[in-house]
Amino acid sequence: MNIKFRVLPILALAMAMLFVPQARAEQPVAPTINMDKTTLNNGGDFVISGQAPAGSQVYIELYAVEKKVRSNRFDRKKDPKTGKIPYKFYITKEMPAFYKIIVPVEMAGALDKAKAAGSGWKYSEVLKEVGADAAYSVPAKIQIDNYQATIMASIIGSRGTLLPEMDEKATKSESMKLVKGQFRSVGNLLAAAVETAPDGSYTAKVRLRTGLAPGEYNARVTAVTERIKEGDKEIINKASSELISFDNKIAFPTVYLKNAGTSINLIWPFLLAMVVTIFGVLMGAGGGFILNPLLVMFFPLPHTIVAGTVMPTVLFAQGTGIANYSKIKFINWKLGIGIGSAMLLGGFIGPKLTEMITLAQFKSAFGWILLVLAALMFWQTTPGYLSKNKKEQAILKEFKKRAEETAKAKQ
Amino acid sequence: MKVDFWGQEFEVNMWVGCIGGFFIAIMSSMFGFGGGPFMVPLMTLALRLPMYIVVGSSLLAIFFNTAMGTARHMQFGNFDLILFLAMFPAAIIGGYVGPQIAKRLSPQIVKRVACVGLVILGTKLLGLF
Repeated sequence: MNIKFRVLPILALAMAMLFVPQARAEQPVAPTINMDKTTLNNGGDFVISGQAPAGSQVYIELYAVEKKVRSNRFDRKKDPKTGKIPYKFYITKEMPAFYKIIVPVEMAGALDKAKAAGSGWKYSEVLKEVGADAAYSVPAKIQIDNYQATIMASIIGSRGTLLPEMDEKATKSESMKLVKGQFRSVGNLLAAAVETAPDGSYTAKVRLRTGLAPGEYNARVTAVTERIKEGDKEIINKASSELISFDNKIAFPTVYLKNAGTSINLIWPFLLAMVVTIFGVLMGAGGGFILNPLLVMFFPLPHTIVAGTVMPTVLFAQGTGIANYSKIKFINWKLGIGIGSAMLLGGFIGPKLTEMITLAQFKSAFGWILLVLAALMFWQTTPGYLSKNKKEQAILKEFKKRAEETAKAKQ
Repeated sequence: MKVDFWGQEFEVNMWVGCIGGFFIAIMSSMFGFGGGPFMVPLMTLALRLPMYIVVGSSLLAIFFNTAMGTARHMQFGNFDLILFLAMFPAAIIGGYVGPQIAKRLSPQIVKRVACVGLVILGTKLLGLF
């Protein structure tokens, strides 16, 4: 009895010494995860905490589960190796409407550096630099269709021929490009907020901004215990926690825009549209010129949605204008339809081009258009134009009067 | 092409009109605006037409573009109904209120103010400041 009791602890110790180093190298203990809230009201602050293996780096992957958005990318960058332009079109319908990785606070410097690099930053490179590639998992599994397109086919509206499904690695790499295209900035995709104590316990204060997708969100913690470099390859020893869920609630007049993947307080676009239309009437140009750039500047809306939604709004104003002019026979149908048929063709091509450019290109092109418009406006206030315009306006009034009288006489 | 308007006859170079209209249509449907402020100078300056024939006819021409552009944007799923429903009534209200205010303001001053505003917005979009 006595001997047995003495042997057991020694045996146990020996076993522990045998097993512990191996267990450490193979599979670290999974971290735990807790959250101080289960619901948020249109964003808010919350704290994620838990216990990870001592000495590990802790990453938190945060994403919207319920709401997914469509995301696409047109690749027409010249391949530096072959010199060919790929003209490939990638599209997914499964992009989470929100995606972010919270990294250790020590990485704040690296993130600031990436932010300073401007819009040309590379998501995959930054992920690697801050070690967050170890936690990147959800978008890597989305279904991405890829098409071989040509410029001409794209303009007509065809996506081209569907190519065979990409392998896991290609999907992961393309998903990073799509994620960057969708969420644009470093600050939207990464934040340095995880504080880890020497014993491995961690806390992260996270803020979910307002105007995000409602519904269920998930969070998962990945603890990296070891990174072993073997030549070019890096072996990462990591373990992930269970998923934890929370709910983001929004209430009217804030609504979720399915195509944009964000929610918006409807009062703002309403007021903006009203002010801009009034101003548009005053300066004699449609509201779209000012409304579109303001919408993409102030709201997290994709430029395709902005262009595609403002255009129908303009349609109605034009329709009533035509009806009013045609009542007094002030439209030359031959001229209008003649030029209109050429414009019909242009209207067929334009919307496809909206899809093919990035938000940054949309903004800068719009900048030039507005400068040209400003020059036109200025020209309309020069004395030469004014004196010519005075005569024209007088004739216009005279003609309108005659036209209105004839229209009345007929009735 | 010859067009007849209220007893007067005009000679119109349809090549210039159609090519110019085509490019204005691409641009305006791509960026989602009407295009009137570009069409009017095209028709008055390049086609040498008087204002009274241009106002109505240019509106008819751009209507073709807007209708087609709208249909294509809807086809590509770029149309958001909720956002549209928030902005559409606002645009109608603005369309009624606008002319009431316009009567009381000098168009020259409005245009100068608009000019400054457009330059600020344009340079901001170009990231110049």
